[in-house]
Amino acid sequence: MKDRHDSIPDTALVEAARRGDRDAAARLYHRHIDRVHRICYRIVLDRTQVADCVQEVWFKVFRSLGQFECEESFAAWLNCVAANTAIDCYRKWRRRGRHIDIDEVPVESLPAEEPDDGQELDDALTRQRIEKALKEITVNQRTAFVLRYLEGMTPAEIAAALGCREGTVRTHIRRCLVALRAKLAVESNQQGFGP
Amino acid sequence: MNDSRFSLDEFETLFGGKFASPEELQREYESFLVIVEQMDQAPVPELSAREKADIFRRAWQAPSYERPGIWAWLALLRRPAVTFALGMILGGLLMLVYVGDQSITPAAKAAEPQFAVEHTPYARTYTGKVLQELYPQVENPKVVVEKKQESSPPQRVLYGTLDEGEIYVVWNL
Repeated sequence: MKDRHDSIPDTALVEAARRGDRDAAARLYHRHIDRVHRICYRIVLDRTQVADCVQEVWFKVFRSLGQFECEESFAAWLNCVAANTAIDCYRKWRRRGRHIDIDEVPVESLPAEEPDDGQELDDALTRQRIEKALKEITVNQRTAFVLRYLEGMTPAEIAAALGCREGTVRTHIRRCLVALRAKLAVESNQQGFGP
Repeated sequence: MNDSRFSLDEFETLFGGKFASPEELQREYESFLVIVEQMDQAPVPELSAREKADIFRRAWQAPSYERPGIWAWLALLRRPAVTFALGMILGGLLMLVYVGDQSITPAAKAAEPQFAVEHTPYARTYTGKVLQELYPQVENPKVVVEKKQESSPPQRVLYGTLDEGEIYVVWNL
């Protein structure tokens, strides 16, 4: 059954949340949490860091609802906050030297709910392969790629979000595509995956 | 993924002019499309309902939309570039105060004359702070060094007053 609250536009929920309406804030949160989490995960690429990153995004969002202009799209604004926060989190995390290469994760540290059937195993391996390739490109290139092709933002929106020119965004995307293809091809050859 | 996000046109814009023929362009586009689709379909581990609830509770706990100014300023001050710039400004100000103290104060002190000399053909009259320090009991002291004649030796005389001008002092030094 379709929830009657789903028809309430984001801007109305934002207005209500600004007045301190917790239910409206929760509705807004649940409407967008999965996308925010997806963006953060694809930029940070670490399961142990992503929850903190997502929390930081929502903390910033609730803190700065007053600055959001209702004329613009809340989703686009949220994407910008999520992308920039994820970049900051990733850089802080790297600076602290807590980066652990995916290949170095010991078997015993893997979560208990690891895949136990063929499909889940395939998913895990595919994710590992893609994450490894993504980790080897710069965070700006990765962010531009994620926002453009995985979240559907326009190059102009990405440029505004990252504070750079559209030409720079295209360069990031081009380099990311070339690097990903090269890295995935190498991985496929090493692991016996087809393209 | 919606293919229009990674259309052939966009691919051509990104890599325009790098391919010898339209067939090569099409072939390359398809190989990149596979990459983009793989990325799009790569599974993302989900947050559990409990994690989502916890994140919301913590993030909403202290919403500060009522006082965005304070938080905006605090957030601004936490940026390393801003902190560095503020440090530079503060350092510059301290340096200015220090250098100013070194250069302006002696100048100000120098501007206050220690003594003044008045020249006449056969006499020089000394007045000022130095004499007041030398003869603190004498009011408005002045020392006159004069020669009676060109060849005669100089004679030093201290002039001043005592008891608020009641007594006039003339003292041959």
